[in-house]
This record gives sequence, C-alpha cells and structure tokens, in this order.
Amino acid sequence: MEKTESGKFEGLTETDQAYLADLLKQLADDDYLLSFRSSEWLGLAPHIEEDVASASISQDMMGHAAMYYGLLGDIYGRDADDLAHFRGPADRRNSILTEKRNGEGEYLDVPKYDWAYHVVRNLYYNMHKKVKLVALKQSSSTPLRDVAAKAAMELYYHELHWRTWFIQLMNSSDDAKARMAAALEKVNGECADLFHLGKYSEDITRKGYIAPASEMKDSFRKEMEKVFDQTDSVFSFPDDQKENGRLGRHTEDLEHALELMSEVYGSVPYAKW
Amino acid sequence: MKAVTGMTESEKYESFMKRIEDGDKIEMDDWMPDEYRTVLIKLISMHGISEIMGALPEKEWVPKAPGLGRKLGIMAKVQDEMGHGQLLLRVTEDLMKPLGRNRADIMDDLFEERLKFHNVFHMRTHTWADAGLIGWLVDGAAIITQTNMLGASYGPYARALKRICAEEVFHAQHGESIIMALAEGCTEQREMLQDAIDRWWPSLLMFFGPESKDTTGSSKQDATIKYQIRTKTNEELRQSFLSKYVPRIHSLGLTIPDDTLRFDQETKIWEYRQPDWKKFKQIIGNEGPKSQDRLNLRRAAYKNNAWVREALEA
Amino acid sequence: MSGTFYNEYEVFSKRAPDKGFIHHFSLTAPNDEIAKVMAQENFLRREPVSDLWVVRRENILTLSDGEKQTLQRLDNKDYRNTKGYGYLRKKWRMYEQNLLDEKEIMGWAKE
Repeated sequence: MEKTESGKFEGLTETDQAYLADLLKQLADDDYLLSFRSSEWLGLAPHIEEDVASASISQDMMGHAAMYYGLLGDIYGRDADDLAHFRGPADRRNSILTEKRNGEGEYLDVPKYDWAYHVVRNLYYNMHKKVKLVALKQSSSTPLRDVAAKAAMELYYHELHWRTWFIQLMNSSDDAKARMAAALEKVNGECADLFHLGKYSEDITRKGYIAPASEMKDSFRKEMEKVFDQTDSVFSFPDDQKENGRLGRHTEDLEHALELMSEVYGSVPYAKW
Repeated sequence: MKAVTGMTESEKYESFMKRIEDGDKIEMDDWMPDEYRTVLIKLISMHGISEIMGALPEKEWVPKAPGLGRKLGIMAKVQDEMGHGQLLLRVTEDLMKPLGRNRADIMDDLFEERLKFHNVFHMRTHTWADAGLIGWLVDGAAIITQTNMLGASYGPYARALKRICAEEVFHAQHGESIIMALAEGCTEQREMLQDAIDRWWPSLLMFFGPESKDTTGSSKQDATIKYQIRTKTNEELRQSFLSKYVPRIHSLGLTIPDDTLRFDQETKIWEYRQPDWKKFKQIIGNEGPKSQDRLNLRRAAYKNNAWVREALEA
Repeated sequence: MSGTFYNEYEVFSKRAPDKGFIHHFSLTAPNDEIAKVMAQENFLRREPVSDLWVVRRENILTLSDGEKQTLQRLDNKDYRNTKGYGYLRKKWRMYEQNLLDEKEIMGWAKE
C-alpha cells in the first residue's frame, strides 16, 4: 500500500491560500459527505457480499477526505479532525449530490433506502471524481498533485464497481429499469454543481490548480456516454439547479448530516477521543 | 457426492469418529452423521447470523464516531462483522445444500424467529463508550469462544475461524484504543466508560451461555464437545474471560458491578454473581431491549432490496 | 426459494507476481461480473494482491470419496528424490569434490 504523506504548500500568498482552501473544501467535503451517506448503507445492502465490497469504497472516500482535510489543515494551521467536524453548512463546499439522504427514514430507525439511487449517485459522483483527479494530477500545486495521484489509484475500482451495477440494473427487469429511471431523474436534479468550482472558479483555473470546469465536463460527458451506450438510455447532464453547494448553498439534509457526524466529537469540546 | 461405498451405517459412523479422533478434518462433501450436520448448521448459522445482527449496534456509531480516524476504524470493523457473517453463512449454506436450503432460507429463519442470535446484540447502545466496549470486551469474549474452536473437526469452519480470529485481534485493539482514550480522558469520558461497563457486565457473563442445560433447559455444548467442534465448556470459557479481563479492567481504575466477584486462590475459580438466566432466555428469545427493532430493520432492508435480487436472478 | 441469485464462486489470489495462486473462500453472486467486483474486497482487504481468479464452483472438478483413495501411495519412492542418492556426498568427498545438492544448485541463480 502507498503511504499517504504528501508535500506541504510553500510560498503561498494570502489570496492563493483562499483559492486553494476553497478548492480543497470542495474536494474534502464531497468525499466526507458521500462516504457518510454510503456508510449509512452498512449492513443494509441487497446482498451480504456487496455490503462488504461497497464498505471498502466508503472507507476509501473517507480516507481521501482525510488527505484533503490534512492539506486544508496545513493552510489554516488547524487540525484535520476539527475541519471535518466543526465547520457549519455555510462553510461547506460539497456538491448537493453528496449530501442528499439515501431515501426516506432515519438510519437509526427503519429507513427505506433506495439502492437504485445509491448506484446512480455513486456512478455519477465517482466518474466526476475520476475526471477531476485526472485534472488534478496536472495541477500547478505539488501537494494537490501528490494527493490526486494517490486518490486516483483507488478510483479504478470505485468506477468499475458502480459501472457494473449500473449497467446490470439498467438492463434487467422492467421494475428495476423503472427504479433506475426514477433515480436518474433524481440525480439529474442534484448534480449540476458537481463541476462548479465555486466563488473563485476563475482564479482557481487561472492559477492552474485545476482544469476549467467546461473541459472536465466534456471529459465526463464522453466517459458517461460510453457507459450509457451499454444501456437503452441516453445520457443527459443538467445545466443548472436551485442550490449550489460549491457556493455554500445547501439543502436541509446537510445540516442534519453534519449534526450527526459531530455529535460525539463536539459533545465535550476539550476532550481527546 | 457418494457416501463411503460398501459400508454399513454403523461402520461409516465408526470410521467418521475415528477420523475425528485422529485429528483429520471433515470437508463439506464427506459423509457425516445427520446429527453432526444438524449440530454444525445450528451452531454456525447462529454464529453467522449473530455477526450480521452484530453489525447493527456498532453501525449506529459509524457516523457519530469522533474523528476521521475513528470513523475509518469503526467502518472497517462493521465491514469485518458483515464479512465474518459472509464467511460463516457460506459454511452453513454448503452444509444445508443437500437439504435443499440456501441463504434465503437462513434469512427467513431469522425473520420468522426460528434462528436466534447472540444475547449481546439484543442490547441497546447508549454512548460512544458502548462502541468501544463492544470492541474491547464483547469481541474479547468472542475471541475466547472462537479460539476454542480453531481446532474444530469441520475443516471449513476451522478455516473460517482462523481468518475471523485474526481479524478479531484488530477489533479488540480498535476497542482498546477507544477505551484507552476514554480512560485517560476527562471526567465525562471516564464516567461514560464506567457507565458502559456497569450496563454491559451481565450481558458479558451471559455471552458464554449457561453452565449446563439445567440452568436454562437447553444447551448444545455436549454435542459440540462430542464431535470435537469445541473443547471447553461454557463455564471454562467464562472463567478464562474473567482471568484475562478482570485485571485489565481494574488496571484502568474501573470497577465491576459485582461485589461478590473474587478469585478463589485454592480452587483457582472465579466466584461471581450469576446473571439473571431467566432474562437471558427472554433476550435470546427476541424479547431483549432492541431485539425487535433490529429484527425489523433487517426485515425491512431485506424486503426493501428484494427487487435488486429479483432483477439479477436471470 | 430463490436460487439463481446465489451462484457459488471460489476465489483465488496471488500475493506477488512470482507467487502461485492460493485458494481463499467462496462467495455467492448473481453473475460473473458481480462476482468479480466483489471478490477482492470480501477476502483480501488486508493483503497485497497481484492477481485474482474467480471461478464458478460448478466448473471445478472434485474427487469423490472413492477417487480420493487414488491419492494414497507407498512410501518407497526415494528414487524420485535426492534422498535416494544421499551416498553421493561421501563418494564425491573421496574425489575431493562437493556434492551439487539442491541448496548449491538453486544458489546458482544468484551468480
């Protein structure tokens, strides 16, 4: 296994720090939230073997979030755990797609989670992430490049995993096809901000930290069309939506998620856990 | 596979018992007495389904785990529990196959409450300390019962246990790490930890089962010993747990809620207050504090995902 | 009873390119593709893996009880091993030569 230590940022101006911090929050919060949503499925997947296999992906995502929070911590001189647990919704930069509930009900009660939504959301997210990591591997920032190269190694599996489930369910029973169609529609209403680069988007791309959103979107479209070619459906991607997580405008689902995730960590503020 | 050719039933039985006594391992396609198959199915399906049900109480703490490292650790642990369930159910399924039964039937047995799961997984978790305690002491107790069966005469079970025990070492240390932080932490944390021990102690004693069937009216320990699936009795295992863990609990300055607990230097036996075995029977009869909630969660998840299985049953 | 979702697959892996495949455990899956994407994470979460085989159990030829009898053999086959030629060490010593034993010959790989 690869070690996860990375290079530190050097010689950043204050504005550079602000740009990088915003980008890192997008990357970190995305993985943090979707890892949480995926972990709510623990023990409840349609098949025990799948439960075990997809649990690895949730862990990988949390591991990636930890690397990004580590870099963010270098910039701010703060602890990665504090950055993960103590930032409120307005300071979060994750895409809406990563924060939405898995379905009706609470995970501690008897939730009705939707596997079709889980598969579609994860395919979209992971394909977006794969494209983004390819772009980040060319970043002008060495620490970002290093972390992206590491995270990218695990994306082969994540993408293969969700692509396999997606194609199979899209080509199976009428019931499954209907559920997948409904899930696609739902995801289409939540994913427009995936490639949005936030309030500093122009500066972030001008500095070469990451490729422009339009370029990444094109690569994403090509990749997704290849997947959809193996189904009876046509790929579409929304231009816009109501909320934009990259600008800190979120849904209520996020607030609830963050409360849960920091319940213990914040319960005794001075404690070490 | 064909039975051992040209032997009478009693010759087959004798040759089977001789193999066991010689330390040979029985494999799934080998001839075996019906009683052996029945005992194994009962034992391993309960073990397997307990792992699957055991994932639920800890899963409750996955999102809440304090810190990125803690979140990762507990995710990996819950994943392992499901993985142990997978290994053990596969062993059971292979034993059941000649009887025309498969995993769907095991789940059905659980839902219809014909298949029981371990007493500890019927209990409520109250705080983060419970998540630590489960890793430290529940998994500690599980390690003791499971290592006792590492030499089991049934090869597939012994191999699964070897793998499981290796992973339990990680689980126990994951638990110890949580506990250690609490024990060395602030007053609130220490209180949380002591409270968890006070609440879980009777369940931990019950974990090993009654001393004999006179206590609760049934015990499968006799048959499992006869067929060399396990070597020690329930009480011997409980004694071993007390010897290993009581000093460790005390070393952290924690107390055990039993003022009669003492080690008799002459008999080399731990004296302790018996847990309420009537309550134990109720708990494993799915009348524990969280029995029905957790069963309902399993039932709902299984039903809710039925379309996925149906869709791919080409 | 639903049957076909639970096809049985046996999983094998190689730790490193120069190692042979070893058997792990079995899993159930509705089809080959799903079996393949579940195999590594079910059984090989902590060990290095350089290659993976996922095999449908029905495609494995196994031995019956009777056929297992064919595995037995007498312990009189020293002539297949160096053990049957151990006296050579003494002989070569008489000619002031060392025996080219397994250790010696396998060591030539590093020369």
